Amino acid sequence: MTSVKLPVDKSLFTTNNLMLTYTSGDQEVTAIHPCSLQIPEGSITVIYGSSGSGKSSLLNILSGLQKPTKGTLNFYGEDVYRQSHNELAYFRAHELGIVYQTNYWVKSLSVIDNISLPLFFQGESKESAHQKTLDALRRVDMEKYAHKYPVLLSGGEQQRVAMARAIVSDPPVIIADEPTGSLDTENGNMIIKLLQKLQKEGNKTIIMVTHNLEYLYIADHLLEIQDGKIEQIEQDKIASTVRSMLSDTRKRITGLMEDGK
Amino acid sequence: MRLKQPSAKDKPAVRLRILASLAWQNLLHKKLRTSLTVAGIAVGIGAVYFLLSLGFGVQRLVVNEVVGNQSIRTIDVRTDNSKAVKINDISTERIANISNVKEIGKSYFFPGNLKINNSENDSIIYGVNDGYENLTNLNLIKGSRLSDSKEDNPILLNKASLEAMGLDKDLTQVLNKSVEISIPLSKIKKDLGKLKKTFKVVGVIDSGSGSEVFVRSDIFRGLGITELTQLKVGVNDVENVNTVRSQIENLGFETSSPVDTLNEINRVFQFINIILVGFGGIGMIIAILGMFNTLTVSLLERTREIGLMFALGARSIDMKRLFIFEALLLSISGSIIGIIGAYLLGIVINLVMNFFASQRGVHEGFDLFANPPILIIGVILFMIFVGLLVVVLPSRRAQKINPIDALRRE
Repeated sequence: MTSVKLPVDKSLFTTNNLMLTYTSGDQEVTAIHPCSLQIPEGSITVIYGSSGSGKSSLLNILSGLQKPTKGTLNFYGEDVYRQSHNELAYFRAHELGIVYQTNYWVKSLSVIDNISLPLFFQGESKESAHQKTLDALRRVDMEKYAHKYPVLLSGGEQQRVAMARAIVSDPPVIIADEPTGSLDTENGNMIIKLLQKLQKEGNKTIIMVTHNLEYLYIADHLLEIQDGKIEQIEQDKIASTVRSMLSDTRKRITGLMEDGK
Repeated sequence: MRLKQPSAKDKPAVRLRILASLAWQNLLHKKLRTSLTVAGIAVGIGAVYFLLSLGFGVQRLVVNEVVGNQSIRTIDVRTDNSKAVKINDISTERIANISNVKEIGKSYFFPGNLKINNSENDSIIYGVNDGYENLTNLNLIKGSRLSDSKEDNPILLNKASLEAMGLDKDLTQVLNKSVEISIPLSKIKKDLGKLKKTFKVVGVIDSGSGSEVFVRSDIFRGLGITELTQLKVGVNDVENVNTVRSQIENLGFETSSPVDTLNEINRVFQFINIILVGFGGIGMIIAILGMFNTLTVSLLERTREIGLMFALGARSIDMKRLFIFEALLLSISGSIIGIIGAYLLGIVINLVMNFFASQRGVHEGFDLFANPPILIIGVILFMIFVGLLVVVLPSRRAQKINPIDALRRE
């Protein structure tokens, strides 16, 4: 394992030679090349990469949904995938809050019941879950939509409600998969600010996947992923890496424009 | 040890009340589909219930008509045609001593004639003791039984005898009236000639369609007639009826019991009920297919939602239970609606049938449909069982949904 300077000493997730392959037809495709990395506790880790680079595969592994083909994923030093199915469900319900790019809802349920789902899966009663849900909705300023159906809300509103669902059970980790992907700049910025606030005030560990360079500035810790190969960028090198990425992008766009002429 | 919480596996899964509420909200979300499925189940289960209720109702009517006021714990004892053995004090004593015999009812009956005021009528005159009255439900509708009367010569008249004499309009007026009975007894004992005696009406009973009157057996006994026409033997338990019967038959008597008739009727109706359920079953099969279709379509439509719930921490058992709850809600609501519908239809048809019957001169009301609690509970339990059977496949599939694939679905 290469030694990387982390923003905080304590690792929340660590992977050891973690690898994911799948078969497509007769071919074996490597989604994640063997990697050993750490995700520090209480910081914002951004996983950056283009579409199809393997970001979502990595996120699925971190979410306890996709068992790696090889290697291990540890959470506070415990091997996540040595747990039984029920314990994995317990892990997802208690330790993780997930925000997706697309808003997934149980359509028959109102906002309040949708947000209460993680609490229901922890065995909480309806009354107590609703109480906590209203608190979570208040934190994202969406309390008045509690009894509406989520699909009737705008994209930005839905994403805020999804944030409320991620924080309702007060998990230590928030995983956000392209949370700004389907939003305009204003709503996108609002979600990013919320994530920052959760990290600073709530001491949450944020793991955000994005393909948008614009939001890399919030990272305390950056994982760049290209064709399944993951590179950890040290904290003090993030700014220069982002600058270099922007410069590369600018060059690529300029080149394309000149070719077009 | 954050992951291996000691109680992680034992932690309660979703509360059942919440799962029921989630299932209910999902069914409500697809109102039309749910209504059609419930209607299908209601029609299917309603048809089965309606036909069974009719089967049981008609069976009850037939049993009442045939077995009527006879207790099924009794055995009627008669002499055979050769009259080689007689029902006298000695044989009565021997029968009374058979184990499990509880009571003996003694009866004489002779054809005779009765006269009230100026009305006259031929009738069967029964001479019975207290035991007979106890063992036979004489269905008293006015006054008192012979054994309860303090009159010296009491008599019970049945409704049919009063109808024959046109005295059935006001039964209260018949009580305490004098009745003259005449019975030719010369065939029994030559020196007896014709018995003529006056009695006082103490009660009116509703039994049989022919004219029947009941007096105390002592009257005939007093005349020296020691040979009884029939014995009614009361047994302590239905289970022992057959054993006691064979012991009595070993003494040379002929026996019959309402149990014979009842068994025969029940056997016929068992067969009829199977045929009726078979007809209703066609509706049931359609309802079951509809329910299976609803649950399968619901599963396919909600694959992504189930994937989401897994991602949010649901266990596979929770998803299985969610589908089981949906199936239970569909089957319980369908069967309750079906039973209520069938019950109401039964009432309407019964009213119509009673109306037609009264038009044809049948004034006594009857109930064609029976709704015993066991039938209602049985039908609901059956539908719950069917619902659980139907949901096996969809719930298993729900359990095995891969959340990553499910969330990727469009």
